[in-house]
Amino acid sequence: MSAAHEPHSAEHGGHDDHHGSPFIQHHYDDAQHQFDSGKLGIWLFLAQEVLFFSALFVAYILFRVHHGEMYSYAHKWLQVKFGAINTAVLIFSSLTAAWAVRAAQRGEKNLLIACIAVTIGCALTFLGIKYIEYNHKVHEHILFGKYFDPCVSPGGSELLTKHNDCAGTKSTIEWSKANGAIDLDTGNATKGCFSVADLDLDPHTPGVQADCEVSEVQGEGGTGAGRAITARCPEEKVGESAGEGEGGHEGHAEAPHFPCWRPAYQPAVCPDLTKPDAKLAGVGSQPQVGILVEYGDDQEREGISIKATCKKPGKPAEGVDAGASTGGGGLGHKAIAPVHELTTHEEHELESLGPPPPNTNMFFSIYFAMTGLHGVHVLVGVFVFIWLLIRAVKGQFTPDYFGPVDYAALYWHIVDLIWIFLFPLLYLIH
Amino acid sequence: MSNADSHAHDDHHDDHGLSHVASAKTLLATGGTLLVLTIVTVLATKIDFGANINLAIAMVIAVTKATLVILFFMHLRYDKLFHTVVFTSAVLAAALFVGFTLMDTSQYQQTNIWNNQSPPLAPVGPHAPTG
Repeated sequence: MSAAHEPHSAEHGGHDDHHGSPFIQHHYDDAQHQFDSGKLGIWLFLAQEVLFFSALFVAYILFRVHHGEMYSYAHKWLQVKFGAINTAVLIFSSLTAAWAVRAAQRGEKNLLIACIAVTIGCALTFLGIKYIEYNHKVHEHILFGKYFDPCVSPGGSELLTKHNDCAGTKSTIEWSKANGAIDLDTGNATKGCFSVADLDLDPHTPGVQADCEVSEVQGEGGTGAGRAITARCPEEKVGESAGEGEGGHEGHAEAPHFPCWRPAYQPAVCPDLTKPDAKLAGVGSQPQVGILVEYGDDQEREGISIKATCKKPGKPAEGVDAGASTGGGGLGHKAIAPVHELTTHEEHELESLGPPPPNTNMFFSIYFAMTGLHGVHVLVGVFVFIWLLIRAVKGQFTPDYFGPVDYAALYWHIVDLIWIFLFPLLYLIH
Repeated sequence: MSNADSHAHDDHHDDHGLSHVASAKTLLATGGTLLVLTIVTVLATKIDFGANINLAIAMVIAVTKATLVILFFMHLRYDKLFHTVVFTSAVLAAALFVGFTLMDTSQYQQTNIWNNQSPPLAPVGPHAPTG
């Protein structure tokens, strides 16, 4: 150990056998002893990390074994592109972290600084991409537990719920579960839901309308409070391609007068999980009849709830398309065109799959727990590597003292290692 | 210290560095292989071999990648055997954790948290809500 050592500091003056780095503590025999102790420590920590994450992997495996169908459905909400880029970013940062150790061992200060800086950059890139992914999911309500409320309806039509304000929508639908459900027998707006049997409709038929004569639709609250929404939305053709959400209105000869309303059939995809009794009875998961209000792009829609009253319905007009402008009579059956633009290829695929299978929210509980905990580790790694960067710039790492670089790199590799498993398990489900 | 590479397998660290210095070639080859395997695993998903075989392929690739990271990036190949023992014990403990939990799961009733096709039956018994 003859080369590249720092001058002895005063407090280490008495330990002449500790030549080299001033960071070699006096309670160790020598630099090797200190390094080996630290190394054993970090390996024990890494073993603990494996056990720590194994709990989440157990949850993942159990749900995959027992509810494989929700994995094959829900993974389509994840974009392979982002996962693959993040994998590559982490692998590259693992390479630079390993290279940083090599540079420290060889006493190459500038290379060490560069490697640490690139590793930090990669970690921040990873977190940035993760932010984009999370942001998309928060926006689309593709979340964990009871917050799982995505914009997907059976059979290709898109119907948003009151909880959703999805990106790319040209109009927002207000769906009021409390006021908007219409009792077909009495004609009154009621709370609660209707069973499929009562409606005699197939919930998987795209955008089936209930037969109900709606007499009045009124906005409450917000700037549109008390204003009757009299305009009916223009008729839309049955079987319009769901993917062309934008063209739904523009391709039509009749321009809609926003806000306008149309009666709507709420497919059984958005149960109200916030009410335990509703969940127990399964009522929240039944299809409902309601009013669908569409707004123009620039119209105020915040805080408006919709109140609808409904007259006693006529007999179902089989196969009859009632004119949209007449405003009366049986409404017959018609399609609800999509108002929500799907953003990914996978989400387009989801359209054709129908409603999510039971317990799909659990996939996202697991997804957010696993990627969230992993993300926290990446964030910790950023701070650790910033600390290393400062020390490296100060020239504190020498060939006889580079333990912290080695230990941090080992930690970083385990973070990479976990992502190597998370990526195929979450994103690459066939 | 520039000749540290030549002492990579030296058991006596006293004179030449505290631990093994990975060669540039090894690091680049490992990193390159990991990136190639990432591309392979993404492409393999696009081919339908059946759900189980697709999963098996993905897991074989993931385990291969993990092994490469552990052996070369984490220097375990050149490190003390005891570190391998520590890490392998943790992996084995995790495997036991998964295995024993899986053996047990069919002993419990299924819980429907979110099912729109078959809502759970109304509860019966003394604690059932009366309507």
